[in-house]
Amino acid sequence: MSLSTRRQSALPDGVRKLLTERIEDHLELPFQSSTSAQVMSLCNDEKCDAFKLGELISFDQSLAGHVLAVANSAAYAPKEPIISLHQAVSRLGIGTICEISMAVSLKGKVFDVPGHATLVRELWMHSACSAAYCKEVARSLRENVEGAFLSGLLHDVGMPIVLQNLVDMSRERTDRQIPHGILTAAMEEFHEAVGARMVHHWQLPAWIAEVVAHHHAFSDAGEHRRETAITRMGDLLAHWALDDSAEAEDFAGDADVERELNLYREDVEGLLDLRGQVLEVAEAFL
Amino acid sequence: MSDEAARFDVLVVGGGPAGAKAAVQAAKAGRRVGLVEREAHIGGECVHRGTIPSKTLRETASCLSGLRKRSGGLLGLDAGVGVEVDSLMTRLKSVLAHEERYLADQLARNGIEQLTGVARFRSPSTLEVVRRAGGKTLVQAGIVVIATGSRPRSPASVPVDHEHVLDSDSILSLRYLPRSLVVLGGGVIACEFASIFAALGTEVTLVEKRDRPLGFLDRSLTDRFVAAFESDGGRFLAGASVESVRWDGMSRVVTRLADGSVLCSEKLLCALGRVANVAALDLAAAGLALDERGLVPVDEHYRTAVPHVYAVGDVIGPPALAATGMSQGRLAVRHALGLESEGAPEVIPIGIYTIPEIASVGESERQVTDRLGGAIVGRAQFDEIARAHINGSTDGLLELVCDPEGRRVLGAQAIGEGACDLVHLAQLAIHAGLEVDAFLENVFNFPTLAEAYRVAALDVGGRRARLGGSRAA
Repeated sequence: MSLSTRRQSALPDGVRKLLTERIEDHLELPFQSSTSAQVMSLCNDEKCDAFKLGELISFDQSLAGHVLAVANSAAYAPKEPIISLHQAVSRLGIGTICEISMAVSLKGKVFDVPGHATLVRELWMHSACSAAYCKEVARSLRENVEGAFLSGLLHDVGMPIVLQNLVDMSRERTDRQIPHGILTAAMEEFHEAVGARMVHHWQLPAWIAEVVAHHHAFSDAGEHRRETAITRMGDLLAHWALDDSAEAEDFAGDADVERELNLYREDVEGLLDLRGQVLEVAEAFL
Repeated sequence: MSDEAARFDVLVVGGGPAGAKAAVQAAKAGRRVGLVEREAHIGGECVHRGTIPSKTLRETASCLSGLRKRSGGLLGLDAGVGVEVDSLMTRLKSVLAHEERYLADQLARNGIEQLTGVARFRSPSTLEVVRRAGGKTLVQAGIVVIATGSRPRSPASVPVDHEHVLDSDSILSLRYLPRSLVVLGGGVIACEFASIFAALGTEVTLVEKRDRPLGFLDRSLTDRFVAAFESDGGRFLAGASVESVRWDGMSRVVTRLADGSVLCSEKLLCALGRVANVAALDLAAAGLALDERGLVPVDEHYRTAVPHVYAVGDVIGPPALAATGMSQGRLAVRHALGLESEGAPEVIPIGIYTIPEIASVGESERQVTDRLGGAIVGRAQFDEIARAHINGSTDGLLELVCDPEGRRVLGAQAIGEGACDLVHLAQLAIHAGLEVDAFLENVFNFPTLAEAYRVAALDVGGRRARLGGSRAA
């Protein structure tokens, strides 16, 4: 697919050309943390148990901290504080541990662009919120929710990577800061293609790459059009949910996505009602 | 909302098999017909969530199971745990596209007006259709046919979350093939999915409160089904009542049975029946009430308590099969329009797409015995049929059920690959009132499974002769 797929008007041609060359020739993609890769592999092992998983997680302080934080968060509402990793793993389950592991790896390796903490934090919160909402969209459609969290979490993974590469390019050429408008325009324009490459690079399932590559134009997604539309719906709901001033009637949605998923007004209202629950899950990943 | 109501001679609510055929029948009679469907595409659960998707998955499972058998165990094939379920249903999109196109063309060809939205009665003859994108349309009709279908039932004791505990809709969007699956129920849907997943290599436990699954069939068939299911690695738990189902929070669904035993599985499928889709209709506004099972009561012409309102398909309850629904749709409209009709067909085939297939038509041995005081049953074991040896389906069986004199064919049941097609010959024989000897007097292609009819008819003849001999003695 073309690297620059959409909304080309806001980005100066010179920046587009430089960024395209960099992405084509020297795009730097972060590696998945080894603990995360091991956790995901262990989670897929039939012999995986809470003890083994807890032990593996204990080797990674960041991951261990996040697992305990999520297990103690309002979203999981423990009756007693959870103080050990084994307790936390038993409480959250293998599937959630897998999701946390991926999230922590992404947060540490991808959603970390020095000098842009606020922007990256917003991006991260949006990803976590989209992940939680994607799961609820799939559930409301009486479809299996496996994979929905991950596709939501990863849909904008290209954004911080484009940002990091722009920052690096700027540092290599000049000390001047890139204007915010150019940063956001470049991220908007390139994040789908770059995100899909990142998904391939981390050897995640091919269908997730397809979702990431087309989440702004689900009808181009081929075989995984429906998963892509679900992800886009989660994306839109997350944008709305994270806007403190937005009321239910302010949710604009996307008529094409709602048509694709055959969501009636009452279905959408049901999803909007889940805002509090979804935000709790997302905040647990902060 | 426009105050002006659109007027139809016949308004059909629901575009599944029953509704679509009702609409086509009315249009062919020259009436102005409207068809309201909630989903964007016609076809209902049958096309989009049930019959077609599950049969597409079954085809892959059946191929794997068949290859294992035909290779004499040389190939230990299964799909492989963790494989993407999508990859086992690669032809689904093209099959669905074909069905959607075919149905849409049929409706267009017959001049049927489609209204996409949710229908709700405002009065016995007036409905409002709430559009997906907002807005309402009022419609009036001289005849209304309710054909809104059904959805999986989720009992309060089984927490269906579409993640660990699934229903027959969400199991079809499973991303990966699970290692283990507990299936609750012993009906058609439970047995179909249990046998499909077992054939794909999942460790399946089928939990049924009765002593055997598919209790409406004769034991000779259900015993064979259980044997085939177990030979594919499945496990059948008879007489097992479920006390509770919960996800253990870690990796397993824990099912506790009334006898204290506990089953642990990666996923659980709840297939404990279906409920009619009637909540949105506001039947009370039409002067209608549901029966104690939550179904729309109808008479023998599929007419409800309100004379111009008919109901067909899953909303009226068993047998809730696509073929039956289609027939009901046609007959209801013919009755409503005062067209000649032979009434509901007495001989309706039942096809069950388990692995192996099971089919039944007409009366069972038990029914004939109860009604006539006896029955002669001729059996053809598929291991006597050359085609079955070629297909590797020698564990099949065809039974021809005849009257106590061994003359008239009254029923047939079959298990084995091709069973659902095979019973249609018996259906025609029953409908035409043929004697069993018709299967001896006609020549069938060789090698085909139809030969089983000849073998079963010979068996009936032999039993008849022995009975005649013993009577003479």
